Amino acid sequence: MSGYSAEVKVAETIAYKMVSLPRRIIKETQRLLQEPVPGISAVPDDSNARYFHVIVTGPDDSPFEGGLFRLELFLPEDYPMSAPKVRFVTKIYHPNIDRLGRICLDILKDKWSPALQIRTVLLSIQALLSAPNPDDPLANDVAELWKVDEAEAIRNAKEWTRRYAMDN
Amino acid sequence: MFLLDFFWSLWESITHILTFSRNPQNNKLSIHVKSNTGSSVDVDLDPQWDIGTLKEAIAPKIGLPADDMEIILAGKSLDDSTTIAECDLGEQSVLHAVKSHGQRQRRSRPLNQIMSDLVEENDATLTTVSEVPENQDSVQPPVADSEEKQQKNAHFYVYCSVCMTKSTGNPATPLKPKEGKLRVRCFSCKSGAIQLDSDPASWSDVLEPARVSGDCQEQGCSDGPVAWAEFFFKCAEHVPKSENESAAVPLYLIRANSRSTPCLACMDVLDTVVVFSCAHTICLDCFNDYMTSKIRERKFVLDDNVGYSLPCPVGCEGSLITEIHHFRLLAPNLYNLYQQFATEDFVLKSGGVLCPHPNCGMGIYPDDDCNTVRCTCGYVFCKRCLQGNHIGDCDNAVDILTGLSPSYTIDPSRAAQSKWDEASHRSIRAGTKPCPKCRTATERAGGCMHMVCTRCDFEWCWVCQTSWTRSCMGSHWFG
Repeated sequence: MSGYSAEVKVAETIAYKMVSLPRRIIKETQRLLQEPVPGISAVPDDSNARYFHVIVTGPDDSPFEGGLFRLELFLPEDYPMSAPKVRFVTKIYHPNIDRLGRICLDILKDKWSPALQIRTVLLSIQALLSAPNPDDPLANDVAELWKVDEAEAIRNAKEWTRRYAMDN
Repeated sequence: MFLLDFFWSLWESITHILTFSRNPQNNKLSIHVKSNTGSSVDVDLDPQWDIGTLKEAIAPKIGLPADDMEIILAGKSLDDSTTIAECDLGEQSVLHAVKSHGQRQRRSRPLNQIMSDLVEENDATLTTVSEVPENQDSVQPPVADSEEKQQKNAHFYVYCSVCMTKSTGNPATPLKPKEGKLRVRCFSCKSGAIQLDSDPASWSDVLEPARVSGDCQEQGCSDGPVAWAEFFFKCAEHVPKSENESAAVPLYLIRANSRSTPCLACMDVLDTVVVFSCAHTICLDCFNDYMTSKIRERKFVLDDNVGYSLPCPVGCEGSLITEIHHFRLLAPNLYNLYQQFATEDFVLKSGGVLCPHPNCGMGIYPDDDCNTVRCTCGYVFCKRCLQGNHIGDCDNAVDILTGLSPSYTIDPSRAAQSKWDEASHRSIRAGTKPCPKCRTATERAGGCMHMVCTRCDFEWCWVCQTSWTRSCMGSHWFG
């Protein structure tokens, strides 16, 4: 009996949270779960529907191929008027991603528009893995090496992918 | 049981008959008819009447035979077979009765219907059409045999200073636009007794003066048959207190969503939307969220021609909102903020400074050759560093306010009341750094060293306190 009422309570809590959630977020979440983007999974947290656990697979023919990269994505209070906050949780060797996992991507900053979605943001991040841009760096030492010795940088990226993104 | 049912249905039919027979009386409209000779008649009329019946009714009072009379509404001479209901008149509307010219080609349909035709042909440049909302039944009774087309109306939305500045209770509640009606008058004598030579074909024709010509039939008008038309808007949601009430401002980006375009932000398809010049479409609620978020971030743009405005949410080139009355839809407390930021940005952009004293913020245009600025609030400050008036250069300033200068005294009681006491002065100094460009005290709550000033948009480095560079990014981006 006590177990049953606890379950009811959890269900009520989730229902309450869903009610207070804007319809746009509910729709986006449903679509992400029903028609996932190939190579990307985004699942809302059980206790916070604005917090997503994201896994992006390293694109083929990139130094990140074969890796599974975990990210966290948070939809702030005034989403979609302001951009989602996204961060790599898995360590990654990339000129546009710093050691704390922060991502240098214009659509997450000043080029954000409410017409973009979680889906488009994650696709852009996946594209950033295929096409690193060392001229607009966030991790400066990585960017430097990427420009001076691209082969060495790619070796490092593959090594980090093998070490941090393949075990889990 | 059967008996009960029988009485119930009887009761229903009685109430039905009662409401049915009462309806026409409720639909009576009080309007004014003005003649171009100066006389004016008040008429109570039934919306089912046609213009011919109206002419017969007013002919004796106006002193003009019905056959010789033309009724003008919004630049159009109305055909005898047009019904009052089709004209979409509100209470206390004004019609103009003039002596017929005879040779003039009759135009049969009122302007609101002409506009809806144009709208359908010219959707992108003008506006869109929608079905008449259900709650308009009192104005437009359901006419059984009316064509489908006549149930359509061009809908205009306006900012009405009469309806929308009343206190709505909660100053944090966004406002809704009011429905508006397009009207026209003579540019020269402002009389409504003008017949248009052609219909407006675009929003420019409506919004800019002297684009459509007309024949003004007001006696004594200097322009007469070669007049220019001047379009204006009326709020459809209140009965005008006087004929000269100031016009409503058209919020022409707000339209009925005839193409069922989903809102770019919430993705729902809603009845009323804001369509930007780049065709991006957002619903009214999301438009308000967009304005609210941008005003809180102080991210409006001060444009020399337009004023303090916003582009479309996607940021398209050339999509700036040119009618800033759209921002009147902001919740009143945020609209106050909009006015404040707009004024401050204008003062700063045109070479002024804002008094840094708490709760003052007065805009001042200082002399070019003197660094000391005295505000009307009594505060004296340096125009370069916006700190209290000091001797010497700003970096090693000696604050005169702290009492080091014999030439300056402060009233102790006033100093005690002031929030600008020494302790808060010190903690602001310790916890903030001034923007290198506009000197706004800035607190870094976290994140990287790359600062963007919320007041002047200057990008600067928290460590160097100069503009942000690649080398800042390389050596101390995160401290």
